[in-house]
Amino acid sequence: MRNNLIAVSDICNYHHVEIDFIQSLEDFGLIKTTTQKQSSFLSLDELSKLERYVRLAKDLDINLEGLHAIAHLLNQVENMQQEINTLKADLIHSKHFN
Amino acid sequence: MDYIDYYKILDLKKSATIDDVKKAYRKLARKYHPDLNPNNEEANKKFQQINEANEVLSDPEKRKKYDKYGKDWQHADQLDAQQRQRSQYQSQGGGYGGGGGYSGGFGGDDFSDFFSSMFGGGGGRSSRNSPFKGQDYNADLQLNLIDAYTTHKQTLTVNGKQVRITIPAGVENGQKIKLPGYGAPGANNGQPGDLYIKFNISEDPKFKRKGNDIYIQEEIDVYTAILGGEKIVETLNGKVKLQVPAGTQPDATLRLKGKGFPVYKKDNQFGDLYIKWQVKLPTNLNEEQKELFEKLSKG
Repeated sequence: MRNNLIAVSDICNYHHVEIDFIQSLEDFGLIKTTTQKQSSFLSLDELSKLERYVRLAKDLDINLEGLHAIAHLLNQVENMQQEINTLKADLIHSKHFN
Repeated sequence: MDYIDYYKILDLKKSATIDDVKKAYRKLARKYHPDLNPNNEEANKKFQQINEANEVLSDPEKRKKYDKYGKDWQHADQLDAQQRQRSQYQSQGGGYGGGGGYSGGFGGDDFSDFFSSMFGGGGGRSSRNSPFKGQDYNADLQLNLIDAYTTHKQTLTVNGKQVRITIPAGVENGQKIKLPGYGAPGANNGQPGDLYIKFNISEDPKFKRKGNDIYIQEEIDVYTAILGGEKIVETLNGKVKLQVPAGTQPDATLRLKGKGFPVYKKDNQFGDLYIKWQVKLPTNLNEEQKELFEKLSKG
């Protein structure tokens, strides 16, 4: 887990996004900011999530509800992929020893 | 390089309007966007093609050139020159900008050779003007142990640029330092990358370094070892005169506190120097010497 923090204001300048966008993503539970001395920060792990949402919003004109649905589905896909990998590994193992 | 049919990629007719191009692009981009297809190389590749097609077909100038030359795009410059000669027509030349598209972030996503030949450079995907940090540079710097003993300045040439750096005393072999902003320039007003310098410190034949301590071996003759005496020893910061106690055994070790290597970025802090005594036995003894040793051996 990386815990370097980056100021949300810097991220807004860098990616040309409004602070409201980041606030809305947080309201939807898509990212989590950290507050220190009355300023908001993002960890590097959260930053990579944010950058993905910025790309999706800009490239595909996807609104917040859409981003929320995508995040949910991608999470499901990832879980299923992990399950498939585990099952594949079990299958190879049982073929090898039986 | 093969001719790429951008209309086919976006499943469009040649008569498609800008609006049709946008719709087709959005539809396919939603399907193949890399963020929606993690770890899917095929989708990533397809998305690049869609982007490239959109970059050309959604830009009237680019589309005009593409439509004009089509499969003869390789001879576009020659054809332009001929046309200029005939009608003194001012060709539009290169330097296209604008257009929408994928805002980047996946690496290795250059446009095709076909696109570069026609329109020059890549440039399409970053056209949303997102700033990108420049590439980081890595450089290796060879030092010997004596170089690493003192803080000193050194000038390096990295990608044709002169960089003067201060190397603090006590730097370790394999240690990396970061020089922020000395990497490649950023794109779209993005920050420049960083320069990482790795120090390779060659081994010294005399001084062996372990952390901040230094180990050396010094020869003394058998008489000094038995009877004691003085020995001048060279350290990293000059010579020191040491008292060898009588009865010093071979491989006995002496520690000189604070005579080792400087501690990195800690002023006036040093490791220790360890001296192992190598007792040199006499060879080619004459008769008289042999007799004396025999007397000694009989007690």
